[in-house]
Amino acid sequence: MGDLLTYLPPLARGAWMTIILCLIVGVAGSILGFVIGLARASSIGVLRWVSAIYTNFLRGIPLLIILLFTYFALPLLIPGADFSQLMSGAIGLTLFVSAYIAEVVRGAIESVPRGQYEAAEALGLGFFNKFRYVIVPQAMRVMVPPWVGILLAMIKDSSLVSVIGFVDLTQAGKIVGTTTMQPLWAFVVVGAVYFFICYPLGRFGRWYEKRLSISLARPPDTLQILMPAVTGLLEHEPPELPESPESPRDAGGTT
Amino acid sequence: MISVTDLHKSFGKVEVLKGMSCEIAASEVVCLIGPSGSGKSTFLRCLNLLESITAGTVIINGHNLGDPKLDKITVRKDVGMVFQQFNLFPHLKVLDNIMLAPLKVGKKDRLATEQKALELLEKVGLSDKADAYPSALSGGQQQRVAIARALAMDPAVMLFDEPTSALDPETVGDVLEVMKRLAEEGMTMVVVSHEMGFAREVADRVIFIDEGLIVEEGKPTEMFDNPRHERTRAFLRRVS
Repeated sequence: MGDLLTYLPPLARGAWMTIILCLIVGVAGSILGFVIGLARASSIGVLRWVSAIYTNFLRGIPLLIILLFTYFALPLLIPGADFSQLMSGAIGLTLFVSAYIAEVVRGAIESVPRGQYEAAEALGLGFFNKFRYVIVPQAMRVMVPPWVGILLAMIKDSSLVSVIGFVDLTQAGKIVGTTTMQPLWAFVVVGAVYFFICYPLGRFGRWYEKRLSISLARPPDTLQILMPAVTGLLEHEPPELPESPESPRDAGGTT
Repeated sequence: MISVTDLHKSFGKVEVLKGMSCEIAASEVVCLIGPSGSGKSTFLRCLNLLESITAGTVIINGHNLGDPKLDKITVRKDVGMVFQQFNLFPHLKVLDNIMLAPLKVGKKDRLATEQKALELLEKVGLSDKADAYPSALSGGQQQRVAIARALAMDPAVMLFDEPTSALDPETVGDVLEVMKRLAEEGMTMVVVSHEMGFAREVADRVIFIDEGLIVEEGKPTEMFDNPRHERTRAFLRRVS
């Protein structure tokens, strides 16, 4: 155990890299996913078509392959590009996560009743105002829980970036475990750190959900329909919204 | 105010409107009646471009709806619509429901808009509900808010798509009362309704539509007491 203490700095550095990576991917993946989700739900055929290919394609490829591709193959496609491991890992994870978020955004937007679009249009609201003030606020309530679920899954999936040699928390744990010959303690610490990274996000999700349901007085059934999608995601299934008959589980996602 | 000539509307291969023509003058209140599926709602929805027009011309308040360069928003500013299902925005308070369009589309001053919204709420008898969410209101109250919301844009024409069909019987009266007052103030109104009492009392003209065509139109008394067409008679027998 004493040995392990001297190896805490590398573990902390690994944890820090994981946090940095997840912050980048969380922000970039959310923005990209949101935009693609809007395209998925749009009335413009070309946008729908292109975004459908994007999401279906990326959801059909293992994350591991995406990461290997962005690290080894992408620089070949873009001459002169010199991606760091962090950069490659961030790009790969962002692509992967955005595809899942896009599907959640699409589902949430399509769950807003037709009449809301018509009322907004009949009042003369243009495309931007309609989405900004009428559709998205209502869809938000539906999309946030599965969205948080995807981000939680992403934090844990980020451990896969060790395959491209990025020293994240998992890789640091592996190194420390082997050097100290105490893999048990090393991985207990690593697991605990992942938990403490994930837990606040889960809490935030719950808090945000509550806040939305206070300000939004609509029957709460939409949330209950979507909760299985969250649990499904944590187990790496595509978030097909209405399916998955499992009972709703804690969105805090500490699995 | 509204001039419709040979209006056709098809959904895919199904032709719903088969060449309708009519003129509606300013301040006129017109009730559209007819069996369900006859096309009366579709006709109404063509008037504010919620449905695209397949063929024919519609001119409303000087806008030619067939003009490809026409901005839909300019038409919709002039045409208010009230839906069967109210379609209030559930995430906004009553007052914000009313203020959204004037603020975002009309780009009006916030204080003046709020003043106007409160006046409209008073007009529909719901001054005390400004800060309520729609879900806290009864159907009739929600529909009256929806009317106030449509009026907030100062439309030249108001369209009502079966405004009382989704309501409990005891709240229908309040909504009809508001509509009646609106008619008395000189609003141009096109109302799709099954409320024959309202049509008889308030409408200047009743248009009977069946299978996508105008079968017969006239003053409510003529239409209800002395319909000329067998189809109109059959329909009126069934609803009364």
